[in-house]
Amino acid sequence: MSVVVNERVEPQPDTQRQPLVKLVGVKKWFKLTRGIVFQKVVGHVHAVDGVDLEVYPGETVGLVGETGCGKSTLARVVMRLYDLTDGELWFDGQDISHMHGGDLRALRRDMQMIFQDPYASLNPRKTVGAIIGEPFRLHGTVPRNRIESEVKQLMELVGLNPEHFNRYPHAFSGGQRQRIGFARALALRPKLIVCDEPVSALDVSIQAQIVNLLEDLQEEFNLTYLFIAHDLSVVKHVSDRVAVMYLGKIVELAPGETLYRNPKHPYTGALMSAVPIADPDMAAQKKRIILEGDVPSPIDPPSGCRFHPRCYRAQFPICREEQPELEAHHPGQVAACHFPLEDRAVLTEGSSEAAGSAS
Amino acid sequence: MPEPVLEVKDLKVHFPTEDGLVKAVDGVSLSVAPGETLGVVGESGSGKSVSFLTVMGLVTRKDAYISGEVLFRGQDLLKLPPEEMRHIRGAKISMIFQDPLTALNPVHRVGNQIAEVFQVHRKTSKKEAFGEAVNLLQLVGIPQPQARARQYPHEFSGGMRQRAMIAMALALNPDVLIADEPTTALDVTVQAQILELIDRLKQEFDASVVLITHDLGVVAEHCDDIMVMYAGKPVEFGERRDIYYGAHHPYTWGLMQSISRIDQPRDERLKPIKGQPPSLIHVPPGCSFNPRCPYAMPICRKETPQMIPVNGHHASACHLPLVEKERILKEEVLVRR
Repeated sequence: MSVVVNERVEPQPDTQRQPLVKLVGVKKWFKLTRGIVFQKVVGHVHAVDGVDLEVYPGETVGLVGETGCGKSTLARVVMRLYDLTDGELWFDGQDISHMHGGDLRALRRDMQMIFQDPYASLNPRKTVGAIIGEPFRLHGTVPRNRIESEVKQLMELVGLNPEHFNRYPHAFSGGQRQRIGFARALALRPKLIVCDEPVSALDVSIQAQIVNLLEDLQEEFNLTYLFIAHDLSVVKHVSDRVAVMYLGKIVELAPGETLYRNPKHPYTGALMSAVPIADPDMAAQKKRIILEGDVPSPIDPPSGCRFHPRCYRAQFPICREEQPELEAHHPGQVAACHFPLEDRAVLTEGSSEAAGSAS
Repeated sequence: MPEPVLEVKDLKVHFPTEDGLVKAVDGVSLSVAPGETLGVVGESGSGKSVSFLTVMGLVTRKDAYISGEVLFRGQDLLKLPPEEMRHIRGAKISMIFQDPLTALNPVHRVGNQIAEVFQVHRKTSKKEAFGEAVNLLQLVGIPQPQARARQYPHEFSGGMRQRAMIAMALALNPDVLIADEPTTALDVTVQAQILELIDRLKQEFDASVVLITHDLGVVAEHCDDIMVMYAGKPVEFGERRDIYYGAHHPYTWGLMQSISRIDQPRDERLKPIKGQPPSLIHVPPGCSFNPRCPYAMPICRKETPQMIPVNGHHASACHLPLVEKERILKEEVLVRR
């Protein structure tokens, strides 16, 4: 078995380590059909269209982008909930792109997922104890007579009262339900947890509780997270590196702080400038870049750079004709743009210094 | 000070349910000056939406117990007969909602839905009204308004639906626009577009805006005055700078410390507010925030604190002595930022 070395996502701080998850040119297209009996394929939704990404053990990679950019599809591809249309998916040194049946089920012990809507992802007819204990029963990792005590331990770990073992999901609040989801995901001691918008449905004061839990669990179990959210502030807070997706492609990948201070891709710049900052003075220092229009349809994505129809820096014809490749900028930063932004294009001032003097 | 356009005095909205009386709104007072943007911040269940649905006369449950005053240019809307209220709602005060898809009728063309406003309120002809609708769509930045007006809501993207809602809300040049979480369902880039649009149209139409949201960032960038609500009551009110740099209520502090901010380094750990928001049936006695408050004193469990003004505009409802508030603010809250 040979590991394909991917040259495009090069500048890694730690290239000696083997990535836990590795995507090479991963594509996921959905067929569009017409007709009822003879379903003719009339096109494809290019949900994920050639993504290279490496996730190292113990790190958190954030995935951001607008609705329809393919971030959730990518998460489901990594979980192998979808088959790949093209490309390779490696997990823990193993090519799992075409794995099926029992092998795949066994693999899922090492990769778990947490969903946005904690209520929809819990069976309302089962007690919390049964829900959290389900992975033990399915995978047989714990003898039946010990399941209950294991479950209670897990409940304690995620901050639930173990006495609530026999309650049903409806008796819990949104934040508590998300904790149940975490307990279930942790049951088999996975290596990777894919979090798809885990805090988006929660109230602000509860979000912080869950974000802190996420960080504690990562430390305790050396977990690797693929963290998807549309809230850039949360993503930046939890992630070591953040990947920005646009129409099925990663357009920029960088450590969160670099991404915020010195975005290179104009799309990242626009995203960063659009994030509201809960501090009027700091907000005033920010340049506002307002994008026009909406994300184009992924059925027929624009030629060349996919962002060119909305881009405020596009020059023609090159942006329309030539697809930019990911190029290295700051340490750990890659961006795919013909005319990358200068440093500090969005922020005019170093805000952390200003914050320090305010106190 | 100019005469407020909208003034709410001690508004209470209680709903009887099988489990007990839900005190959704329990003593809200506020005023909106002409041309001002008021931000109303709170978590789900804090009563921020119900307060303004009541202002709009949209709380229709017959058994709802509503008391207090809602004064629009001095006229109490709560005492107005439904027919007269209909002339004010949508014409003088209008509202947009979080989810524009459920707020729009799926089986009517967008243009016709906007045109209906003119037909109902101004008795204009159908054709004329449709022309007005097209103009409005253009005003809110929808490309090809002629063609778009003939489309159905499902053919619009989320951002465009919200633009259409705004067009409808502004059709009759209202004095007050109430925006209830107008951008919560939208992406940040589209959120920025919509908030910019509201700001611009506010100037053009010379209207006041009430922006209801849970996002402290949105409020920081777009509001003049801010009211923080908790469990059906306002807990703090002030100008934007009072709230962000001089907050006096532990709940406001908690909110500010619990959000992750993009301009902060990530090694800072978030400080969540402990516990859950209370049930509105069994609101804790005394200050409703006391079970979650790190500074709670014995009096907090017995006596409900009143909104006490500090300097002019700024007021907060908390038993902590002012000196203590200033100390905590300086030593614990602002330090972290």
